Order: sequence, then C-alpha cells, then structure tokens
Amino acid sequence: MKVLLVDDERKFATMLAKRLLLRGIDIDYVYTGAEAIIKAETQRYDVAILDVKMPGIGGIELERKLKELDPCLKTIFLTGHGSKTDFEAGSAEAACYLAKPIQIDELLTILREVAG
Amino acid sequence: MDSTIDFKNDDDLAFFGKVNASISHELKNILAIISEAAGLLQDLTEMAAKGQKIELEMLNTCSQDIIEEIQRGFTTIKQMNTFSHSVDAPLKSVNLIEVLDLMINLVGFLSFAGKVRFDPPQDEAAMIMTCPFRLQNLVYHTLVFAFKSVGADGEIQVAFHREPNGSARIAFSGLGTKGDLPFPSQETKNIAKSIGAEIRIADDSQTIDILVTQLGENSGYTQRHN
Repeated sequence: MKVLLVDDERKFATMLAKRLLLRGIDIDYVYTGAEAIIKAETQRYDVAILDVKMPGIGGIELERKLKELDPCLKTIFLTGHGSKTDFEAGSAEAACYLAKPIQIDELLTILREVAG
Repeated sequence: MDSTIDFKNDDDLAFFGKVNASISHELKNILAIISEAAGLLQDLTEMAAKGQKIELEMLNTCSQDIIEEIQRGFTTIKQMNTFSHSVDAPLKSVNLIEVLDLMINLVGFLSFAGKVRFDPPQDEAAMIMTCPFRLQNLVYHTLVFAFKSVGADGEIQVAFHREPNGSARIAFSGLGTKGDLPFPSQETKNIAKSIGAEIRIADDSQTIDILVTQLGENSGYTQRHN
C-alpha cells in the first residue's frame, strides 16, 4: 500500500508519517496541495490522507485534482474541527473523515479497509 | 451603567463566534502535534524495550516539538483571553498597536491568510478611546478582505499613523485583486459607523485606510451599543 499524506502542519505531517512508517506503511508526505500534485504526477498512490483546511489548495479541491490524475485513488480526510460543516464539505466519494488528534490504530484500520 | 457589551447585535455575536472557532481550530492543531509527538515517543520507548536501536536525535526532536507546541498553546490561549476580555468595557482607552497585533495573529489562524508585514512605531503612544470589540471587528474584516485579495502566497503591509487631530489611521496596503467580495460590505460599513471610523479606499484599490477617531462619553458607548 502506497500512501500520500498532505498537511500544512509540518510537525504533524512529519511525525504522523514516521509513526506510520514504523508500522510498515510505505508513505510520502508533503505540506501543500501543489507539492502533492507534483508527487502524484510521477508516483501512483493507493490512498491519500488530506488535511481539509490548508492554504492555497485545500483538501477538498486537492482530492478532485488528484482524482483527475488517478480516478482509483482513495481518500481519507483529516479535519481540525471535526464539525458537521467540515464533514459535509467533502465529496460523496470520500472514503472517510478523521478528526485530529488522530488515534494511530484507528487510522491504520481505516487505511487497510480503504485500500482493500 | 452597563459594564459589558450587550450582545443583541447578530454581527457582534457572529464575529465573536467566528474568532473563537478559529482559535479552537488552532488549539486542536497544537494538541494534534503534541499527540503525535507523544505517540512517537511511546513508539520509540517500545522499540528500545525490545532492544531495537533508536535514534537519539528523534527523541530530541519529539521532546523539543512538545515544548514548542506547549508554548504555542500558551500564546494562543493568552490571545484568546485578551480577545474574550475585549467585550468587558464598551468604551476604553486601548493601545492600537496591541489591537492590530492581536487581530493579525487571530486572522493568521485562517487557512487563506498569507504573510503580513507590520512595523509598529516604537516610540509613539498609540492609545485611543474607542469600543475595543467593535474596533477589533473592523480590523478583522479588513484583514480578511486584504488576505483574500492577495491569496495565500501574497503579503500585505499594515501600518499605523497618528493624525494631527488625535485620530489614528491604519493603512492596509499591497492589496491584490483576487478577492471576490465587495469591500466594504454593509456589515463592515455598519461596524465602522458604530465607532465613528471612516474607511477610505485608494483609487488603485491597493490600499485601504481606516481612520479611527477618539470616542467621547457622549458617544452612547457608556450605556450600550445600539
């Protein structure tokens, strides 16, 4: 399973990626939507973990752009709010939403379910 | 005499809610980082217990990140506290530089906020008698528009000038054309009017000046806003 993590909170993205790496997940991480698109143009990912609120290209818009590159890509959204508004903001195709702070075991379970 | 603002105005309440929501988002981000750092420390501890080699540098980075994020949390809570207490007195002598600094920080929590250059005068008193909460509301709305006008990668400049008549001029410059909202909105105009402030937009639309006048005891603010 190849995973792409995108979050503008650099420390969060770095540490979450390291924790997933320690659990055997093959993961790349970037801090902006623009960087994510560049990555996805040259590398195929099974699942993208996207922060909803980011400067520039937000998670919802990024999902649309990434799916143009790879319609098979599955998505997990991360939100800071965990509010109803945030959850409703995503597309119907979104695999699921997780509110921060993340429970690593929950994320792992969802990753495996989503990737099939 | 009322000692607090009577929140009968929907715009006031909406502003208060909006700012608190963005602060809560910031605090959640901070806690998320601390949570990941603590989780990573736990992972490393378990690895060490199993006799696996761990990098000391990673331990150092985790603990340093936790210290930094706790400090960031304290700063955010202090800003929240200052903002919350701005409703305590309807009319008060406030330091305009502190108001601008606070609003720049609070708007900075929004995802579309770009960079801001604010060089306050060091040797000038910036005290002005006004309604602190409404002034914050006006500055916040203007900053939101300014950031949207330049986009997340842009930079705006904020400056403060004392006018000869005792009023203060806050200049927002370097604005762009990306914003799709008309400025000032009727809501913003109402806020400005309520504290006797004037909004001036330069012909090239790249600068917005807000003239803040001193409010007196007969301004109606010693009793209530509306």
